[in-house]
Formats: sequence, structure tokens, C-alpha cells
Amino acid sequence: MAVDADAVARRPVAGGEAAAGAGPLLAARGISRHFEGMHAVEDVSIDVQPGRITGLIGPNGAGKSTFLALLAGTLPASAGTIIFDGADVTRMPTFQRARRGLVRTFQLPSEFAQLTVLENLMAAAPGNRGDSLIGALLGRRYWGVDEDRLVVQARVLLERFRMSAKESDYASSLSGGQKRLVEIMRALMLGPRLLLLDEPMSGVHPSVIGEIADYCETLRDEGLTILIVEHELHMIERLCDPVIVMAQGHVIGQGTMTFLRQQREIVDAYLVG
Amino acid sequence: MSLIVAAFGFGLVTMSIIAIAAVGFTMQFGITNMINLAYGQVMIASAYAAYAVNNAGVSIWLSMVVGAVFGALFSFLLNRTIYAPFQRKGTNLIGMVIISLAVSLVIANVLLPIVGYYSVSYHLDTGPTLHAGSIALTGVQIAIMAVAVVAMVLIYALLHFTRLGKAMRATAANPTLARNCGIPTARVIDFAWLITGALCGVAGVVAGMNSDAFSVANGSEFLIPIIAASVLGGAGHPYGAMIGAVIIGEMTEVSAALITPEYKQVAAFAALVLVMVLRPQGLLAKRGTLAAAG
Amino acid sequence: MTYYLTTLLVYAGVDVLACLAISLQFGISGIVNFSFIVFQAAGAYTAAVLSMPPDTANGGFQTYVLGLNLPFPYPWIGATIVGALLAPPIGLVVLRRLRSDYQAIAMLVLSVIASLVITNTPQFLDGAAGISLVPQPLSNIFNPYSDGYLWVYSAATVVLAAIIFVIAQRIINSPYGRSLRAMRENELAASALGKNSVALKMSMFVVGGAIAGLSGAILVGFITTWAPSTWLYPETLILFAAVIVGGRGNNYGAVLGALLVPVGFEEATRYIPPFGPPGLIPAFEWVCIGGLILGFLWFRPRGVIPERRRVFRLAAASQPEEERGGG
Repeated sequence: MAVDADAVARRPVAGGEAAAGAGPLLAARGISRHFEGMHAVEDVSIDVQPGRITGLIGPNGAGKSTFLALLAGTLPASAGTIIFDGADVTRMPTFQRARRGLVRTFQLPSEFAQLTVLENLMAAAPGNRGDSLIGALLGRRYWGVDEDRLVVQARVLLERFRMSAKESDYASSLSGGQKRLVEIMRALMLGPRLLLLDEPMSGVHPSVIGEIADYCETLRDEGLTILIVEHELHMIERLCDPVIVMAQGHVIGQGTMTFLRQQREIVDAYLVG
Repeated sequence: MSLIVAAFGFGLVTMSIIAIAAVGFTMQFGITNMINLAYGQVMIASAYAAYAVNNAGVSIWLSMVVGAVFGALFSFLLNRTIYAPFQRKGTNLIGMVIISLAVSLVIANVLLPIVGYYSVSYHLDTGPTLHAGSIALTGVQIAIMAVAVVAMVLIYALLHFTRLGKAMRATAANPTLARNCGIPTARVIDFAWLITGALCGVAGVVAGMNSDAFSVANGSEFLIPIIAASVLGGAGHPYGAMIGAVIIGEMTEVSAALITPEYKQVAAFAALVLVMVLRPQGLLAKRGTLAAAG
Repeated sequence: MTYYLTTLLVYAGVDVLACLAISLQFGISGIVNFSFIVFQAAGAYTAAVLSMPPDTANGGFQTYVLGLNLPFPYPWIGATIVGALLAPPIGLVVLRRLRSDYQAIAMLVLSVIASLVITNTPQFLDGAAGISLVPQPLSNIFNPYSDGYLWVYSAATVVLAAIIFVIAQRIINSPYGRSLRAMRENELAASALGKNSVALKMSMFVVGGAIAGLSGAILVGFITTWAPSTWLYPETLILFAAVIVGGRGNNYGAVLGALLVPVGFEEATRYIPPFGPPGLIPAFEWVCIGGLILGFLWFRPRGVIPERRRVFRLAAASQPEEERGGG
């Protein structure tokens, strides 16, 4: 590797504000993923500060999506630890991390196709007494109240994302951009602390990209922490601070886009890939 | 002890039969992503086709050719008329399993009224029995082993030295990429089914030759050792299937000698389940070559 | 006539139970349990060995374990429990991150192994000969050959089927059912939203197993005999054909499928005069079943009654309207 990763990483984060005081919401230390002799991710350590949108960029094959999968638990890490919200989640399966507030979306469309849009959101909502075998057997009288409450909550979300009209459509009938919004809404129903967005702009019509970016900003202003893996550098520049750069499984830089553009090694790594 | 050695000898024959069958089966999977559960029935149907000819006075070896041709055509038609259309339609993996099960049911039950319930046997001269220590094999059994070796060599030659073979390997590795590189994948698949169908036919005939008698009921019995050998060697890898056949072939015969003969099948079946559960990518393949989500 | 109708009702009830179980596992949760028939067989065998006298009785012509001579309803309860208990070991072994078709084949093979093992271990459940002279429930009080008894038996079967129907309805129309369906649609996404897919699958495996066990008990109590030939692996395929034909993902479809395929089909072929060599009619039946599966999967994969679209009423009431939607 032409870049001295350590030297780059040790440089001060230029152009970024000091963290809001509290420790990082998520701290990954020494995360590696070895698979069939390939080192997809190698000794990656990052902090995700609360209340900010962190970007994760890099050329193809850099290991960004793999790393996101490791954070979410979709893939097990070969080494390293992940501390989320004070707890060590390294060995936890995905669903447990999600219940703790660490929620991811997917790059490929992952809507629940044979469920309606509203059902997609309702399926995600926790806190429904009917969401257990016993609860189901006890019937509607037992869980009806929770269900009504969550329907209202879901509808508020649909209203906010301007998809109320699609409430009863099958999720499979939506456009790419709409499916992406449904995924985000679904994730929001869990009340997450940290939202991992895996290339949310991919496969989405350009007009919707701005919309998604707007929503991200609003959510951040409301206190949600977001980590975005993306190729759309314009959006990254607009939304993210800090931005982390990966190449060939390593972190090779961190800072604002402006700062990073000035780093020769990073530009080279990105272009050469 | 001599019983085990004798069983080892029988295992050589069994592994030969399974090898011929498993290579065809696994190649069907590798090239078309299709677990063809009707394979056993096609074997039996081919065995009967050969029997029809053999019964009319034709030599067993010529009948084997008839069986091979029958298997080739039958398998080719099976893919063209049923499997491929359903796959094009976007049927998921489970749907394809159910479909191949349905097909195997249909084949077996169309065959039954035609050939009847009673078992039949080939007219052949088993030849002299040769002894090597406790191993005793007839001339026919040795011939079967020879057929297997020839088949393996031919397949190897096909895959490595012919353009068709290389096209098959490319299609198996990455069909989209192969197509984009100009390989006529549809035609390659057609040939693949013809060739593997021929293997299926030959396997059916030699299996019939190795048994005292066979009937339609044997069709499903063949299938599981074949799947076991294929999975053991890594689904889709012909050489893996050969190695898997060796293991399964010996295992069934030796376990029949060690435990009771009735459990011969159980050993192979249990092996299959164990491999599928513990190491679904097979003994040879590297970890993780099998997609996790179906 | 009584005998014919009551037999029909009992078989229909048992098939409905089996199809409801398959619908919950396959239609709602996406589990392809090709070893289903083993669960039904386990229930039948359990009910048999719990209700029969020790195997030395009746001249000692059959060998089996237990033989506790328990009165009704204990054998049936035992059968349901055994069906449920069989699920975790099989489920844990097979319900891993395997390709779905591998999972299905592994289960199919397990089914064949079970059949072989039982057949070749005569000390356990009398091997290939199977168990016969199973006492009918409450036959010590009532005459099991009277018309009245037969009608009550069939009525009880129908009632049990109705109860299980209600239970299945509750499950699939609940938030839990929605979670199951979400998992079926996209297991990875469901996990990312907090669903424990292993627990979800296992619970439906257990519930389905329990229902299967019960159905086995009901059947064996009526036909008083049970052997490996009764539960070969193609029987599972008939049930899957029923669910595919009737309609996946909903209980009405499961019931319809049960009535159309195992019941309707067998009944229809009964009226065909015997033609051709013996065994032609059963072979013809199987060909039709195979053809039915292929035909429906091609022309109407959703079945006669498709899974319906769930619409929530705009008013704040907690009743989701259901619309028949071909979607």
C-alpha cells in the first residue's frame, strides 16, 4: 500500500468541531474480517460521535459495506471489539443489536414484498404485545390497543415522508426510491440510536436523492446519529462530518471532504483503488 | 476381517456406479443450479430402456449405449420442457425442489404401468469371478469399474481440452459473465444436459447390471447416495463428486458388513444429512462458497 | 353408508389439521418441512403405544415399547406433546443458514432415514409390520363399532379441526403472524429490525409438530393400525400439493387444499372403475398429483385462494379490514 495509513490517521481532524462532550456512541477497535484467505477488513478502528452524520467512503472493494455489515452483526468479525452505547455488542447477533438501537438498512431493495407499506412499518415496530406466540393466541382483545397505537405512529411517519397514499400498496409495487424510504421509515419505527445506511442513494432516481438527504439532515437535527456508506460524494460532502475513507480494508483518512481532498494520498488511493 | 475386505471390494464397484451418476448429477447442479431430484428415476427409466433392447437379444454393452442415449434425450427434454421454463419464470429454489419431486413422482408412476411391478434382470454373462485375497469380483463388476474409469477420463478431457467443456466451466462459475463474454449459455446448457443425461443413463444400466434384479422402486434408492456423494465433494464440482463417490461407496458397503445390511442405506443417508448440516460446501470446497440465503 | 361418511369426515379432518400445520410452517413462515409426515407418524405411534396394553397381550404377535394402557385423552395429549418435542432437535439440526433447497432435501432425507430406522428396528415399533389392534378411544365404555360412536368420533375430529383453525387464524392475523411473514419475505431484513428468526422458525416448527402429532393420534384411533407404509415421504408431498393448490399463506386456502387434494382427489378416483392392470389407478393418482403441482406452480402459483392484502381501516378502530386481493 502506497499510503502510510497510520500517519494519515494520526493527523488531527481538520475542519471538524470538537465532539459534543459525551463519548462516542459507537467505538470499533481493531475490527478485522478474514474470509477464505482474503482480508476484507483489516484492523479498522473508528468512533461514531452522537448527533452527527458520519460518512464512510472509499473505492470499490475497500471493505466499506463489509465493515457496515460487521457493525450491524450481519457478518461476524474475525477480530476486534464493538462497543455500542456502552455495551460490548461484538458477539451479539443482528437482532439483538437492532433491539438495542443499532439498526441498518440494505443496499439492495429489502422491503417485505408481500406485505403492504403500512404492514412493513408495523412489522418493525417493537412494543406490541401481540408480537409473541402467547400474545397472538390471546387474540385481538389482548393486543388491539398496542396495534392501534402503532398504526397511528406508523401513519404519522408515512405522512412525514409523504407516502400516506401508498399505505395499502404492496411494498413490491413501489419504485426504487420509495422502497428506500420505506426501509428508512421501517428502521425509524424502532426508535434507533444509530442508523447505518448502506448506500441509500444507489438505485434511486436522482430527484429522490436530494429528498433522502433532506430527511437525513432533519433526522440528525432531531438527535439521530447516522453512519452512511456511499459513493455519491456530493451528498457525503453536504451531509457528513466527519468522513472516513477506507481502501483495501484499511482506514486511510478521516476529516471533512474539503480536508480529505487536500490529502494527496487519499485522492491517489481513491482513484487508483 | 475378511468380510470387511470383501466389502471393500464391493465398495469399489459401488463407488464406480455412484461416481458415474454423481458426476452427472453434480454437473447438472453446477451448470443450471438445479437439484434434479428426478435423476434417480431417469436412471431407472434408462435402465429399463436398455433392458427392452437387451431382452430382445441385443448384447448388454450395446444396450448400455441405448440406455445412455435414452438418458441423454430424456434429461435434455426434461430441462427444456420443464426445468428451464420454470427457472426463467423466476421460480425460487424451493419451488424448483418441489417441481423436481413432482417430476420424479410422475416419471415413476408413468413407468410403473408400462414396465410393471416385478423386477427384471439383464441377460448377461457375469464372467469369471476373480479373487484377490478376500476380494471376489466378477468379470462384469470389473468391467463396470472400467466403464467408470473411462467415463471419468472422458469427462476430464471434455472439461479441460474442449471448447464446450471450458464453456461449461465458465457457465457454472458465473452464468451472467459467461453470457456477456459471448458464450451461448443456452446451447451450453443443452449440451450439458445431454452429456450428464448420458452419464445418468449409463449409471442406471450399470447399477442394473450390478444387481440381481431391479425394479422401479430402486429409483429413489439410488438418489440419496448420489446426492450424498455430490454434496460431500462440494456441489457442482465434478472431481469432488468422484471423491465423494469413493467415500460413500466404501462407506455403504463396509457399514453393511460391520452393522447389518439393512442399515446400508441409513449410513449413506445419515452421512448426507451430517455433511449438509456441518459442512454444506463439501469437504473439498473452501468455506463459504455456498450462499447462505436461499 | 355411515361407515363411508364418517371415514370421509375423519380423513378430511385429519388432512385439514395437517394442511393447517403445513400452512403455518410453509405458507406463513417459509419453512419447507419435508419431514412433516414423521411428526404425524410420531403422534400416531405415541398414541398407539400409550393406549395399548403391553406387547405380550393379544398373543404377543407384535413387539413395541411402552404399552401403558392409558385411557383417552392421555394418548392424544401424549401424541401432541411428542409431536412438539420432536421439533427442537430436528429444527436445530436443519434450520440453519443453509440454502433453502438444501434444508428441504435434508428434511426429506431425515424422513427417509426415520422410515428406514423404524422398519429395521422391530423391537421398537414392530418394524415393517407396524402396530395394529390399537384400541379406539373410550372403547371400554362405548361400542366402537356402533353408528353412534362413529358419528361422535367424526364430530370430535371436525371440532378439533375447527379449534386448530381458530388458533391458526389468531396466529396469522396477529402482529406475531406479521413478524413471521416479514421473516418469510426477507429474513436478513427482519433480523436487522430486531426479529429473532431462529426463535420464530422454531416456534412454528413446534406448533406445527404438535398439530401434526395430534392429527396422527386422531387417525390411528380411527383406523387402529399404523405401519411405515402409511407414512412414506411422498405423503408429505401430497400435503404440500394441497397447500399449493388451495392457496398459501392463509388458512382458508389450507382447508380448501385439504378438501380438494388428499380428500377430493382420493374420493374422485374411488369412483373410477378399475381399469388396466392392478395398481394402475394409484399410479395414475400420483401422476395427477405431480401434474397438479406442476400445473398450479405454472399457472397459478398463489393457489385458488391467494394470501389476502391486509388493509387497516381509516377509523381508529382496531379491526383491520381484509380484502381479497390477488395483488
